[in-house]
Amino acid sequence: MSFLRFLIQNHTQVLQLTLEHLWLVGISTILAMLIGIPLGIVIAHRTTWNKPVLATANIIQTIPALALFGFLLPVPWLGARSDRLAILALTLYALLPIIRNTYAGIHGVDAAVIEAGRGMGMTESQLLYQVELPLAASVILSGVRIAAVISVGLATIAAAIGAGGLGEFIFRGLAMVDDRVILAGAIPAAILALLADFTVGWAERRLRPR
Amino acid sequence: MSFAKITFCGVMPLLLVCTSCSPSHGNRIVVGSKNFTESFILGELIAQQIEAHTGLKVERRFYLAGTYICQQAMLAGRIDIYPEYTGTALTAVLKEKPATEKKQVYERVKSEYERRFGLTLGPPFGFNDTFAMEIRGEDARRLNIRTLTQAAQLSPQWRAGFGYEFMERPDGFRGMAATYGLHFNEPPRIMDLGLLARALKDHQIDFAGGNATDGLIPALDLFVLEDDRHYFPPYEAVPIVRQQTAMEHPDVVAALAALRDTISDADMQKMNYSVDAQHEDPQNVARDFLRAKHLVP
Amino acid sequence: MQIGWADHCGFGTSSSLRYAGLVQTDARTPVIEFRDVSYRIGSTQVLIDLGLQVARGEILVLLGRSGSGKTTTLKLINRLVSPTSGTILVNGSPNDQGDVIRLRRGIGYVIQEAGLFPHYTVAKNIGLVPKLEKWEKNRISARTKELLQVVGLSPELADRYPHQLSGGQRQRVGVARALAADPEILLMDEPFAALDPLTRDELQREFLQLQQRLHKTVVFVTHDLREALRLGSRIALMEAGKLVTLLTPKEFLQSEDPWAAAYVRAFGGGLDSAADRGAS
Repeated sequence: MSFLRFLIQNHTQVLQLTLEHLWLVGISTILAMLIGIPLGIVIAHRTTWNKPVLATANIIQTIPALALFGFLLPVPWLGARSDRLAILALTLYALLPIIRNTYAGIHGVDAAVIEAGRGMGMTESQLLYQVELPLAASVILSGVRIAAVISVGLATIAAAIGAGGLGEFIFRGLAMVDDRVILAGAIPAAILALLADFTVGWAERRLRPR
Repeated sequence: MSFAKITFCGVMPLLLVCTSCSPSHGNRIVVGSKNFTESFILGELIAQQIEAHTGLKVERRFYLAGTYICQQAMLAGRIDIYPEYTGTALTAVLKEKPATEKKQVYERVKSEYERRFGLTLGPPFGFNDTFAMEIRGEDARRLNIRTLTQAAQLSPQWRAGFGYEFMERPDGFRGMAATYGLHFNEPPRIMDLGLLARALKDHQIDFAGGNATDGLIPALDLFVLEDDRHYFPPYEAVPIVRQQTAMEHPDVVAALAALRDTISDADMQKMNYSVDAQHEDPQNVARDFLRAKHLVP
Repeated sequence: MQIGWADHCGFGTSSSLRYAGLVQTDARTPVIEFRDVSYRIGSTQVLIDLGLQVARGEILVLLGRSGSGKTTTLKLINRLVSPTSGTILVNGSPNDQGDVIRLRRGIGYVIQEAGLFPHYTVAKNIGLVPKLEKWEKNRISARTKELLQVVGLSPELADRYPHQLSGGQRQRVGVARALAADPEILLMDEPFAALDPLTRDELQREFLQLQQRLHKTVVFVTHDLREALRLGSRIALMEAGKLVTLLTPKEFLQSEDPWAAAYVRAFGGGLDSAADRGAS
């Protein structure tokens, strides 16, 4: 049976697994943004914390994904459900690009602009929301884009611990030695990654300051 | 940044999240299985039985790589039913000490699964796929040994091979070695379950930890040593079902009930053999069996 | 010729103001006053015992080379920098008491690179402080139109973005922005330094005309003696964190103070005309 026919015949499952995959990636990226962007803002302003925070995020990134999943399995509430675990691990991996880009984006805002704003009587929070964040938005989104694309790839490994998603096809195809099944997982995953790259990239370009 | 842009950036991910929320299955039943032959034959039997006796569409999610993954999939609602073994459920999932009485184990697993996980057990299929310690038939006859106790004396000279799960599980190698005083001079080799029988036949190993319903046992003239000290708990094959699925679909429950005690050890061995050795399609094997037993038209 | 701060109260200042043609009625309380202000950062003493008064309606120029402390002095006024010791008084009250945000909103601030928000249109840039002060929309747009005219920009530039403007145009917007909420005080930190000579000349001329109408109290930082002579009603010469001398432009040219003389020499001739064109 050709690959296309296989896809069509199993379209419900392909759809189901794709949605599971999107769920894993979506939630973890959002969580990483909720944690990482404020953290990035803090270290851009209080540069003393800059090194330790970036170093920690860096270390987390160097842990191989499967190993991180393994570490977290015995943890009580988390390890009980592998999708929770996968989401936590994916969030951790997404932190570095987001923190780093938020830091770079805010840091990269022209100091003259900030000084002018402050001199004219803008409060720190007004400066943050009306000047720094809008001007840094493009760079921050670039970090989100990187995080999302990485997540799509890592989420395929999550299937190894039973979190579902397109990786399940890949592992199944490997066990069955069936190329079509592998591709049924790999190709949608690749498409998802490209889509993430494209849509966030589009937003990035729209928000780029002149 | 304009309000419009902020809302867009906020709404898109939210939409993404909502659409990917685990959807309820609706009129679909998802049947899972582990990644070895017997498991997906059982999965097929379950799936085809449900298809024949209810109006529901059945989706197959086979080849899940192990007990843990199946359990997770059940808890997350990604699958509704999958075939498991009572002994495995007792020791690997519930993490309790092994027991030897069949009915006791079944009841214990059922009540604990219902209490802790919202999962329930269908009636047993009828065979006991316990761990089978196999040696070559010719060796059994030549050395005149029938039980594991007898084998223990000869074990040091043998090379052993076991599957990964057997080595790691509390009701696996460690307990057996302790109970019978089995020692192997060389550390046992860990191999894929499907390769054990062949390796035994080809003299690569002399002692294999396989399964009682392994189709290759009769085919390759392998001998299963008797568990005379009753170390291994019973491993009755049962369907595990999500309680929610059971409540929403009583016809599924009825379909599964019709499978009670329909598969003997020999039946399972034969089906395994058809797929493993004769390379038949598990779907066909399952269908033929159901037809032969007059369970489906 | 060093003038002590005591001479600046009342008469001394009003004479220089009269001379500059910017007479104000109540020149008694200085608008800005520095009392024994010192500022140290790390091991560097940036300002040492600075004493200075700025009278209402005058343009006080802080002249000096880089590192002299002139920009720091400016930033002490709107509290972008806090002194290590001493007090700065704005309109008679110390500027470290009360809300620093309110202080800054009442002071216009123009910097060298304009510091316009690149993601705001010209109109939005100008309307920044009024918007922060929650003026009504109509009032803001009326004020913006008015200011564009005052700084000599065509009203159709209102919807352009800073990157679409020339350097001179940007700086005009910077001035408009500083004037938007009609502050009493204007702080200007080398605002025309980054412009070409022609544009600089134009803007200096227009600024003088503006000041004749508006009578703001201006503290203007520059390293250019020509600009100082042209614009300043008084020139405060600073060197290595100290106030060296405080003179009117004419006095400066004739001063025997070594630093002042050095400046005059360094800038070559033709300065008399600069002193004349300004302050008249």
